[in-house]
Amino acid sequence: MWRFGLRQAGRLALGLLGAIILAALVSAAAEHGSSAYGRAVLAHLLGFGRLDFGTSAISDRPAWTELARRLPATLELLGFGAVVAVVIGAPVGILLSAGRVLRAGAPLMQIVAAAPVFCAGLGLLWLSERVLHWTGGPRDTSFLAALMSGDLGAVQAELRAVALPALTVGAAGAASVQLSLRRAVSRAAGEPYRRGLHAMGLGRFEIDRVYLVPQIVAGLLHSLGEVASSLLAATAVAEWVFGWHGAADLFLKSVALQDWTVVALVLLVFAALTMTAEFLGVMGARLLAGTERAA
Amino acid sequence: MSAVGNAAPAASPPLRAIIRGAGFIGLGVIGVVVGLADVLARAPANAENVGPPLLPPSAQFPFGTDILGRDMASETLHALAVTATAAGFGALVTVLAGGLLGFLAARLPWGLGLFSRWIAGVLGAVPTLLLGILLIGLTERSFAPLAAGLAAAPIAFLRSFDRARELSFSRHAEFARATGISRNALLRRDLAYEFRDTFLVNATRALAAVAIILSTVSFLGFGATPPHRDLGLMIGAARDTYFDHWWTATFPAAALALLILCARLAAALEEGERP
Repeated sequence: MWRFGLRQAGRLALGLLGAIILAALVSAAAEHGSSAYGRAVLAHLLGFGRLDFGTSAISDRPAWTELARRLPATLELLGFGAVVAVVIGAPVGILLSAGRVLRAGAPLMQIVAAAPVFCAGLGLLWLSERVLHWTGGPRDTSFLAALMSGDLGAVQAELRAVALPALTVGAAGAASVQLSLRRAVSRAAGEPYRRGLHAMGLGRFEIDRVYLVPQIVAGLLHSLGEVASSLLAATAVAEWVFGWHGAADLFLKSVALQDWTVVALVLLVFAALTMTAEFLGVMGARLLAGTERAA
Repeated sequence: MSAVGNAAPAASPPLRAIIRGAGFIGLGVIGVVVGLADVLARAPANAENVGPPLLPPSAQFPFGTDILGRDMASETLHALAVTATAAGFGALVTVLAGGLLGFLAARLPWGLGLFSRWIAGVLGAVPTLLLGILLIGLTERSFAPLAAGLAAAPIAFLRSFDRARELSFSRHAEFARATGISRNALLRRDLAYEFRDTFLVNATRALAAVAIILSTVSFLGFGATPPHRDLGLMIGAARDTYFDHWWTATFPAAALALLILCARLAAALEEGERP
């Protein structure tokens, strides 16, 4: 386990190093001429070493300050999106893998999966306003701040504001979650130990509870990086569609205004989030597999 | 109830072949429609005041008209042609820069292969959409198809690289090495078989991925520019009108979803699988 953990940590460190180099390459994009560009890349790399991520060309404030103002909103949206993804994706994944009749719903999933996230977001917006006569409402503070204040009205208002974007992000994540679950269930169903343990007198429920559930959860965890990547990509679109002022929105505006230091920092943070999710997922899956063996 | 007691296997091979066939037929029909777009469309691209503005679907205008009085059916056809053509070019870039390079990189000596995989891994950790937008931002909007193709390439590279590594450790490869067959001959053999077996799957998969990226970047304002409107730009332009006039966004969105659905089916992607 230790050796596996160290190897994975090494992979994460190498990946983060690559993301830092990529960020330095992007940060220096404003420089013209190969020697000036090379010097700028080196300067940015050294700056990153001192946790100096440069200054925004638009606001003249440190890039980190710009991102720090926007990142909590993105993380909040990601968090809610992840919850929605699991709440929708887990039952769908289990239902779709539980029998031929339910598999008949699979073509519908294909059609739903073919709709790009922005179409889904616009559709949701139209449905909520025109059919349900329900609008998300403006965003005053963050959900966490509202929760800390203990003001139930503020919490409700924040939940209303986050509902539609979180549903859009969550729907994109749910597709990955259900697929990971279905693959894990399909793999586990073919394991010969289930038949063997059943022949030895153990009940199916007992076998599934002790051996199968950890295997399925491990399968899901193993895909955590992919799920995180889906959620992040969907967040970028949802922030634009719903006017959510998060880090992805900052990225889009910064690319449009060629503010490369901010662009590079957002890329670095997003890549780090995906890599960390992948690392945690792989480690969690391995830990669960170990637990299962011990059981 | 046991959660997996009746666990359904993936679609059976004949069913899978039927699904793939349906996808290819769909793509073929879209190809014909795209090729004949100028003939099938009643009005040329961007022809304004063809009818009254924001007219709902009728016998005269089956998809209605937009705010500038353009025939939505003709506009959707022209935009589908722009999207499909650009996505086709982008998919080719993905297959070459991702699939082919990944396969070749896996056989590179002195750790160069692993180094290139590391680079692809880093780029693959950035959401493809953001990578595409970054590439467009660094170049210009007219390079959007190329940027979208390159953005989808890292994932294709990783997939292809891992497949090639798997093949290089397979029994036939060990046997070939033991009998003195050169590395280059083995690479040529594996590449030929890989091309034969997976080219269409990889190309249609890439087509789905690039169509999503391209339409999304256009929707966000980084892709196509008038007069070459694609489906993403059409949907983006309808943002202010579609609440009261649903047809201005629904038909382009349906055309886009149909293109992606056919590509997904042809690539035999599982439900919910990312292209």
